[in-house]
Amino acid sequence: MAEHLVKSYDEQLSILTNTIAKMGALAEKQIKDATEALLTNDQEFVDEIVGKDDRIDELEKNIEAQVVDLITMRQPMAIDLRETVSAMKISGDLERIGDLAKNIAKRSRYVSVKLPDNIKKTIGAASEKVQKNLKLVLDAFVNRDAKVAEMVWNSDEEIDNLIDISMNSVTEFMEREKNYIKPAAHLLFMSKNLERMGDHATNIAETVYYLVTGDDIEGDRPKGQSDILSGQ
Amino acid sequence: MKNKIKAKGVSVFYGEKQALFDVDLNVAEKQVTALIGPSGCGKSTFLRCLNRMNDVIDICKVSGVIEIDGENIYDKSVDVVQLRERVGMVFQKPNPFPKSIYENVSYGPDIHGIAKDKNHMDEIVENSLKQAALWDEVKDRLDEPGTGLSGGQQQRLCIARAISINPEVILMDEPCSALDPIATAKIETLIDELKSLYTIAIVTHSMSQAARVSQYTGFFHLGKLIEFNTTDKLFKNPDNKMTQDYITGRFG
Repeated sequence: MAEHLVKSYDEQLSILTNTIAKMGALAEKQIKDATEALLTNDQEFVDEIVGKDDRIDELEKNIEAQVVDLITMRQPMAIDLRETVSAMKISGDLERIGDLAKNIAKRSRYVSVKLPDNIKKTIGAASEKVQKNLKLVLDAFVNRDAKVAEMVWNSDEEIDNLIDISMNSVTEFMEREKNYIKPAAHLLFMSKNLERMGDHATNIAETVYYLVTGDDIEGDRPKGQSDILSGQ
Repeated sequence: MKNKIKAKGVSVFYGEKQALFDVDLNVAEKQVTALIGPSGCGKSTFLRCLNRMNDVIDICKVSGVIEIDGENIYDKSVDVVQLRERVGMVFQKPNPFPKSIYENVSYGPDIHGIAKDKNHMDEIVENSLKQAALWDEVKDRLDEPGTGLSGGQQQRLCIARAISINPEVILMDEPCSALDPIATAKIETLIDELKSLYTIAIVTHSMSQAARVSQYTGFFHLGKLIEFNTTDKLFKNPDNKMTQDYITGRFG
């Protein structure tokens, strides 16, 4: 795209994009680490993860301030306006992802039982898929790629299905091991957190699609088949 | 949406130099249509075609068709004075007559023989000033010269003068460029109110003003109409790359 007549405007917009990318990378790492903490039961690691969430919150505030500055100073139009508004929305989703990751890390303190392999495996797979989607959608944001955003949007269903399997395994575990109902309940919440993070990545996909095309993605959001997830 | 004005294949020449190239543009009835573009793009030239203001420039030649309610205003049978009774105009710099506030507004109805008697004229002057949101500020000093008002008040006086003869269309050529933000806000509020009664076409250099006051926007560049769209679409997600470059400040 051609440059603005005012060079500092370009700089402001590029700093905004870079800040989102930085915030996104941190959020991605937090998901990875929180999942690892759950699977390894490393308590010191949990403290470290919880501490890092402040950095994500700071970046959200920083992005908000940048957006307010842009609107005040530049009155952005068209693509610039969509970029500015999108940055604000994406930072909100990333902040929530950070909180959910922190919550997984905290809950892992109460899940020090040796987990059955099938649960570990499914939660690990769901977490990896969430990380992958988040990475893809952040790349789509940086590259202004509506196609990749749409692909991420369509693939959230896979996460929902993994979470469904995970929650079913956990409830089976609860029925078998009545002494472990409390830690298992935490596992249910952690699974739900992963599903929510997937939804936030889907929100970001919608935002990126709008940013690039000016339109909304057509059709209904793909959903998994789970009774547990939908509550129906 | 009914189109009040239909322009088809309008080209304008100033002597040898072509200022407007084959412009097709419709102005919707009782809506505000904004014309934007860099200096010299032809937007004011186009606006001035709509009430044949270009007739007063000897070397200026207009071709193509401009219809108001289906009637070609460049037809030989059209009386220009009557046309300008239907299509009023407000200019960049407020230009009240060196007469009283009252006479500024009564002048048009007077020469067009619109008022039946003194009472009727008083009524027209009051209504016009009220419609122009100026009445409360001047009702106690109608005998004072119009030129003694502030810039923003003078511009509203010019709007009152334009609507005093009950036109169908009001053309505005950068009506706020000489005004401060408060006076500008008053004119913008006024434009919003006037559009229920009149069809308005406005040339403006302020993109945010076009976005605020209009429902349709045309973007001109080098004498060509590059994009015509709803204002909402044009400023959020324009179809043309050149439009996008211009409205986002990327135009070199």
